[in-house]
Amino acid sequence: MNASRLLASAWRSLTRSKLRSFLMMLGVIVGIASLTALASVGEATRQETMRQFKRMLGTFDTLTIRPGAGSTRGMPSLGAVEPSLKFDDGPAIVAGVRGVKRVALVQQAFDLDVSYRDETAVPLVLGVSPNWADVRGEAVASGEHLSDDDDRTLARVAVIGSDVAQTLFHGEEPLGKVIRIADVPFQVKGVMAPRGAGPGGVSLDNMLVIPVSTSAKRLFNRDYLTTLVVQLEDANESDRVADDVRAVLRERHRIIPPAEDDFTVSSPRATLAQITSVGTMLSKVVTGVAVIATLIGGAVIMSLMLIGVSERRREIGLRRAIGATRRDVLRQFLVEAALIAVVGGAIGIVVGAGGATIGALLQKLPPAYEWQIIGAAFAISLAVGILFGLYPAWKAANVDPIEALRS
Amino acid sequence: MSMIEAIQLSRVYLRGDGTPVTALRDVSFVIGAGEFVVIRGTSGSGKSSLLNILGCLDTPTSGTYRLSGDVVGSLSDDERSHLRARRIGFVFQSFNLLPRATALENVELPALYSGAAPDRGRARELLGRVGLGERAAHYATELSGGEQQRVAIARSLMNDPPLLLADEPTGNLDSASGESVMQLLSSLHREGRTIVLVTHDEHIASFAGRELVIRDGVIASDTVRRAQVPA
Ligand SMILES: Nc1ncnc2c1ncn2[C@@H]1O[C@H](COP(=O)(O)OP(=O)(O)OP(=O)(O)O)[C@@H](O)[C@H]1O
Ligand SMILES: [Mg+2]
Repeated sequence: MNASRLLASAWRSLTRSKLRSFLMMLGVIVGIASLTALASVGEATRQETMRQFKRMLGTFDTLTIRPGAGSTRGMPSLGAVEPSLKFDDGPAIVAGVRGVKRVALVQQAFDLDVSYRDETAVPLVLGVSPNWADVRGEAVASGEHLSDDDDRTLARVAVIGSDVAQTLFHGEEPLGKVIRIADVPFQVKGVMAPRGAGPGGVSLDNMLVIPVSTSAKRLFNRDYLTTLVVQLEDANESDRVADDVRAVLRERHRIIPPAEDDFTVSSPRATLAQITSVGTMLSKVVTGVAVIATLIGGAVIMSLMLIGVSERRREIGLRRAIGATRRDVLRQFLVEAALIAVVGGAIGIVVGAGGATIGALLQKLPPAYEWQIIGAAFAISLAVGILFGLYPAWKAANVDPIEALRS
Repeated sequence: MSMIEAIQLSRVYLRGDGTPVTALRDVSFVIGAGEFVVIRGTSGSGKSSLLNILGCLDTPTSGTYRLSGDVVGSLSDDERSHLRARRIGFVFQSFNLLPRATALENVELPALYSGAAPDRGRARELLGRVGLGERAAHYATELSGGEQQRVAIARSLMNDPPLLLADEPTGNLDSASGESVMQLLSSLHREGRTIVLVTHDEHIASFAGRELVIRDGVIASDTVRRAQVPA
């Protein structure tokens, strides 16, 4: 008996008792719908987190070095950190470690008043090496980025984020204007392209950058850094490069075992993977419920199939009499169970995707319809149908035709 | 050539409590191709037990059954299924149509198991043959008993089997419907099909050319009523 005829006849028997078929599907529909919705919402959230990190970091093929052992993930101001990372550490890493493309130097503070005429803002102020924009792949909307000359000459110039431009200038042209950072005058030479929201939905455009040499000597008066950003030639070498960087820095900082590092190397990719892999407690509970619903759906299919088999003993006997083998009967019932589960699963996927869309819209995220999720939901339904259809189908195959046909 | 050779067939059932019941005892006979044979006997005499063996649904406890030369007892369950699909048409007392299928779908059903391509045209033709051409789209439950039995006969012909087995085909019908069913079977016999029919009814038995009477599991008589000349 060929597959299309089997499917056609299973479809017929399914559509001829629609209510019963629907009841059989219900558990699978509920289970698969919630699994699909959950997975899709989770995926949408994960993708958004990725995008937020990407916007914050500019790129993932980096290592971040912060002063202090086991340093926190937050963004400490320059005044609050150990003075262990020096300007020369950057070039030393480029020279001493294979697979490093660039190292950007960063001094940061976010407690400085920045003003223009009567307007004041308190943005994140970053002193950065001229290669910082390249490491991050950062673009300017107007004007220019900081140059090597700016760095060499300790120029008092700034490239400002779009929020700062808005707060201080209200649409006035910022280029060439002089702003005051902690009362030190700086000329605006560029406005950065908007970056959007970072982790937690915080704007990433409330910031400005100045040359790191200027910030060290004319603003903070400190000769150490808050961050070194190491850009890798090949992101896959992240672990090896991190080890080499550690070795170079330990030597430069004259750290002898068993003394600990006075710095921390972290990989944003690894940190991100950790953050996005941890589901919330709620999503775990709901996943558990969805799995149970799907299994209950399977059990419902099994018990209604068993009832169906005993109601259809005559039909089975007749089919056997006119030449069906045991395997034909087994296949017929198995295909019916699988078809019910798959149709239920398909309805569940549609319902679940609808739920996910609503969920995403509520969170103001673009919905994620991953084909892997849909494929997995489909596969789970099919597996449930076959698994729970097997026993009733086996029962059907072993109906004694003589007894079944006796009137 | 013989269609059916029964050689000392016995069938012993085991009751629930383990005591044996002998339904058939050393039954031997031969039925030639093209014969119309009726098997008659009282209730419990072993008619259905015998027909189940002839129909390859059951195998004898002892003895040998040959269906057009093949020894059925040595075949596997699957092989017997294939034999039933290709060589035997069944007609039952209670019709056994699928209630959720149309007359046409019921007639078509055996093609599913014979390995042949689906052939809606043949199913239609057979429905026409039993006088129900215009009822093709009706569900089984919308047909009278006599009509249902005629659909069942059309179904039994779907795979063009040489042998038709009927267990009390008129048992659930009024005499007019029974008469038309018997006319139909007679005409199939005239076409050359071998028919073995089980009945209580003397009048029904008169349609056949030969009568086997079975009593307590043994053949009590084997009477040829008229010469059988297949057309
Ligand atoms: N599965 C079974 N288990 C035990 N005994 C059985 C079984 N099938 C039939 N018998 C017994 O075998 C004997 C013959 O039964 P069978 O059904 O062949 O009779 P029958 O001639 O067809 O009767 P009826 O005219 O009532 O249909 C009866 O005594 C019956 O009780
Ligand atoms: Mg009987």
